[in-house]
Amino acid sequence: MVVKNKKLQNQFDAEASNSTRSDSSVKLIFHGVSIFVDGFTVPSSQELRQYMLNHGGRFENYFSRHRVTHIICSNLPDSKIKNLRSFSSGLPVVKPTWILDSVAANKLLSWVPYQLDQLANNQPTLSAFFTTKCKPADEGAFTNAICEVKHENEVLCLKDASKDASFSEAGNSFERRKQATEENDELMYENTDKTVTDGPSKSYSEEPEEVKVVEQSNLQEEDESMENYRLQSCPEQSTSSVSSHCFDNHGIRGSPTSTVIGPSKHRHSTLGDPNFVENYFKNSRLHFIGTWRNRYRNRFPSLSNGFTKSHSNVSAGTQKTPIIHIDMDCFFVSVVIRSHPELNGKPVAVCHSDNPKGTAEISSANYPARDYGIKAGMFVRDAKSLCPQLVILPYNFEAYEEVADQFYNILHKHCNRVQAVSCDEAFLDVTDLEGKDPQLLASAIRKEISEATGCTASAGIAENMLMARLATRTAKPNGQCYIHPERVDEYLDQLPIKVLPGIGHVLAEKLKIKNVRTCGELCLISKDSLQKDFGIKTGEMLWNYSRGMDNRLVGMIQESKSVGAEVNWGVRFRDLQHHFLLDLCKEVSLRLQGCGVQGRTFTLKIKKRRKDAGEAAKFMGCGDCENLSHSTTVPLATDDIEVLQRISKQLFGSFHIDVKDIRGVGLQVSRLESAGNSRQAPERNSLKSWLMSASTSSKQRFDINRIAKECVDSEGKSVGGNSGVLRIASGENSVHETNNAPNGEGRSNQSSSVPPLCHLDMGVVENLPSELLSELNEIYDGKLVGLITKRKVQGDKSTGSACFFPPERAQVEEAERSRNSASVSLRRTALEMKDTQYILEELQMVPDSEARPDSVAISTAGLENNDLVPSSLSQVDTSVLQQLPEELRADICEALPAHRMPEGTALGPRTDNMHPPLGIKTTTDNQPGSTDSGLRNNLWIGDPPLWVDKFKVSKLSTLNFFVDMYYKANSAKSLSSILQCIIAESLHPLNARCDAWNEAIHSFSELLMNYIKLKMVVDIEEIYVCFRLLRRLSTKSQFFLEVYNLVFPHLQASVDENYGGTLHIPPIK
Amino acid sequence: MPNSKPTTPFSGKMERKGNQGEIAGILVEFLEVAITSVVYLKGIYPSGAFERRRYMNVVVQRARHPQLREYIHSAVSGLLPSIQKGLVERVAVTFFNTDNIPMERFIFKLTVNQSFGSKVEESDLEFSLRSFLIKLSVSQPLTIVLPRDCRWEIMAYFRSLPQVSTSKDAEMWIPTDTKQWQQPPLITPIKSMNSEPLGLQLYLEHPSSSELVSG
Repeated sequence: MVVKNKKLQNQFDAEASNSTRSDSSVKLIFHGVSIFVDGFTVPSSQELRQYMLNHGGRFENYFSRHRVTHIICSNLPDSKIKNLRSFSSGLPVVKPTWILDSVAANKLLSWVPYQLDQLANNQPTLSAFFTTKCKPADEGAFTNAICEVKHENEVLCLKDASKDASFSEAGNSFERRKQATEENDELMYENTDKTVTDGPSKSYSEEPEEVKVVEQSNLQEEDESMENYRLQSCPEQSTSSVSSHCFDNHGIRGSPTSTVIGPSKHRHSTLGDPNFVENYFKNSRLHFIGTWRNRYRNRFPSLSNGFTKSHSNVSAGTQKTPIIHIDMDCFFVSVVIRSHPELNGKPVAVCHSDNPKGTAEISSANYPARDYGIKAGMFVRDAKSLCPQLVILPYNFEAYEEVADQFYNILHKHCNRVQAVSCDEAFLDVTDLEGKDPQLLASAIRKEISEATGCTASAGIAENMLMARLATRTAKPNGQCYIHPERVDEYLDQLPIKVLPGIGHVLAEKLKIKNVRTCGELCLISKDSLQKDFGIKTGEMLWNYSRGMDNRLVGMIQESKSVGAEVNWGVRFRDLQHHFLLDLCKEVSLRLQGCGVQGRTFTLKIKKRRKDAGEAAKFMGCGDCENLSHSTTVPLATDDIEVLQRISKQLFGSFHIDVKDIRGVGLQVSRLESAGNSRQAPERNSLKSWLMSASTSSKQRFDINRIAKECVDSEGKSVGGNSGVLRIASGENSVHETNNAPNGEGRSNQSSSVPPLCHLDMGVVENLPSELLSELNEIYDGKLVGLITKRKVQGDKSTGSACFFPPERAQVEEAERSRNSASVSLRRTALEMKDTQYILEELQMVPDSEARPDSVAISTAGLENNDLVPSSLSQVDTSVLQQLPEELRADICEALPAHRMPEGTALGPRTDNMHPPLGIKTTTDNQPGSTDSGLRNNLWIGDPPLWVDKFKVSKLSTLNFFVDMYYKANSAKSLSSILQCIIAESLHPLNARCDAWNEAIHSFSELLMNYIKLKMVVDIEEIYVCFRLLRRLSTKSQFFLEVYNLVFPHLQASVDENYGGTLHIPPIK
Repeated sequence: MPNSKPTTPFSGKMERKGNQGEIAGILVEFLEVAITSVVYLKGIYPSGAFERRRYMNVVVQRARHPQLREYIHSAVSGLLPSIQKGLVERVAVTFFNTDNIPMERFIFKLTVNQSFGSKVEESDLEFSLRSFLIKLSVSQPLTIVLPRDCRWEIMAYFRSLPQVSTSKDAEMWIPTDTKQWQQPPLITPIKSMNSEPLGLQLYLEHPSSSELVSG
């Protein structure tokens, strides 16, 4: 396979160089892009390949997450959509038009708009739209400029959630922040100025205030730069807040390692300690390492996965890539030792317990201790017997984090391609830094690390990751080693195979049986026989590694396939302890949220004491155990703690074992999906969630206004006359705040909080369904109901205008407007609103690109009115309706008559603007089922076909039913899709024999015969499908049975005439 | 192998004269692939006799045996001039049992609109033809299980008899004397498409049940 890939690559390169040479004017727009075409595409994969050839890109025949940067496909099966992560490895999945358009534009376009529809489906939701819009508008002017950079950044992350964008933006903000602190105040000012002017959100009407604030911030330079300093000194906070927003507000909360852990005196088993699970993980080193990666990703979100793209350029010439592997020397010990200089040179080990007789395991020992033969994993008592003067120190997770962060800061400073292996170990790809000697670079990095952290690190340099790692092994402690490519064989020859990564006890034992102990011996075995004995992958790995070959690329972080937590120490139950299980679920749920993923398969693992096993040698250890596991898969991915608890209880119940024998419990979640995809689904239909984002922002606004006021007060003197204006402005704000209705919103188009109470159209509100009303009422703290009752009293006097509190000019205008269109009855508005919501809901679900602008139109319209329930909707919806896709319009039309007043005139003049099917045609005179011979063949002509109109005006409910089905089938041109809809419809109104039964049968048969005539010559397949559907329907409905029997002879005659045979309709099984 | 058919390799180059020629060319090429797919589908030959290929961006089978490949190719290519003239009405792939009685027929019914003037959208046509290949590959359940030692051949139905020796290729087509069914067959449509100026339908013909009793 490797050879094949290489061959394909060479072929491609050769062709590419030919095609580019022949046409040197072509720009290499796809430089660095490497596509993999999945499945059927238009244009075909071969054409896409040609495009890539001609424009400097690459084309991979086989998917490899190392080489491919974009996956191109037009359609994905459901299973792949559901497991997108495992399918795409997080790479962008893009439609082929991206390539075509890029070629047409002669530049590399952003792939984001070309994301596969199936995936893009869940991207823009209304609530996201609301939050992104209002945040910068509300806070921007008042918070300091740096914060704003941060926020802009956030918004961008939220907006398109693309790696690329967040990468560059994150980089920018880093850059800017650094600048801001390092440079002097003037530059600072420039910086703030820039952010204020370049934000797209600045165009709203509070300009005077905004300018003031900028000046203010200028006056407050000192404060601000201090603020910046703070930001800089704890970049963690700011960056993590950025990334936490990227993660849909889940971020890194609940990573228990961030809490300070002292050597707490927690009780040791599940028996006594109610918080056992929590404490267990607090004190677990493995847990620290496990969750560390998460933290790292959040800290360097762009860096850890952003450079896959730039990578492919290099992949062709990877052979000579210098790689540096850096590893801190006995990290867990040396970090702790820093604060104990007196221990330098003495044997020290780290362990969570220092009881000299204890069975706690040593997690790390320094080199002096290792000289005594002390190793990680050894019991403390054994270690003490080997070296009585051994000092045992507890973990200091806080320090580990700090050092790890420093470590990575240094690495990222020197090199932009860093692959984190663990908290203290990383690979650097220094190909880009060609000017520098990697050896000098390594020593520079090591020096810096030791200065910054007080701990030493070792480095290995070689041409691939394997060799670099082996070199580090030689280099330790506190040294560095370079393995020249020519000396690889020499180095490996005597190397024991166990040293190679990936070869553990089992594999080593197997190889030992074959008399293989060193790499040199391993080299003698052929690849085939290795693959035969150890499997294809392992065999290949062995073969490659024994030759020092490793074609992995730096920077590829494996997506985790499962998330879970397991406790196998200190587990002793006396009776069924559900809270232990619940706590475990809580932990797993937090981890899932921390990773931003949700899972579908849940596996509960239980360690059960073997019957004959006594108490474990290790205190409270699990001892000799049987491992049992049960798993279940749910259809919808989740990270919800309650679901987890329910599932794990079920699973636990299915074990049927004595709880006293349980020595360990683990819960693992696999089939992960990224949380963003599914999260929106359940919330989509909740009015509250839609409003919530807005209402929180209004709260923020409230705060900010207050702050602004304070600022103005304190700064009043220095700002002088202008501040007067400002104070008035903010004073005004505060006045309205007491009304719980910030006025600023009324003016600024961007803000989109809950509309102030007085803006609500009471007519609409009253007519809302009760559950909606109560939800709204909650949002308004119960004032709504009171208002409605008040209104009812008033309503006797006034004739029901839309607005009740007329102090604001804007509102007066609005009220006037609505009065001008006085004919609008309140009831009607209510109807409209329902419909608009209906539209909105629909639009959220319809990924159709055509629909998107409409949704924007609607929401912006809603924003302009600054009302969720716009009172002047009559100005909006007609045009919206007209621009809606036909099927949506059909849906609305379908829904309308149910709400309409019996006269059918309530819609007034607007009806004319709507789609014709809605209008009630009173002019047409024809009787249903009229067998006008002139119309015979024409029933299917027109759009919508003639029969639709004919059937619609019919008095027969049966025929009306077909019209409904026609629209339900999205105005389908083919009968088969309409029949399919009918089949899907569970309720047939066609069973009861009505008066005009025969008439209906006759009409429908006529329709069918028309159809046969129309399609027989050109499309026998369609006829076939239709009659098979009819046949199925005939088993359910007397109506269709009669129609079928009536038309079938006609059909066969027609088939015989045209095809010389009879149509074979298989019997229904 | 079918024996009554020409084995001389087809050497004529595909002419694409204007619109009709182009359509006919595409159609002939398509028929070659589709017929191969039918033969593959019926399992007349071991599956090793075919190899995977890509045609119109779908995976299809191609005969590996040169004689088989040549038979299909030459038979279909021989139709080209007649298709161009709009003479061919149907192309049938017929499977016979050992008694030379047809067991199953795959019929391609062609309608080429001779008067179609405007430029043919090749990609549209390709898109429609592709659906045949896809549908064909999943229509195994519609077909019958053939007895062992079947024979098969390609037949074409002409609207009128082709003039003698209009072209060298057409000469390779000979009048057939295969047995016909006495009763009208049962028809099972597989796929139909109509993409101006070409209409193409594929359906199955099976002997009616009374036929089998009498035959």
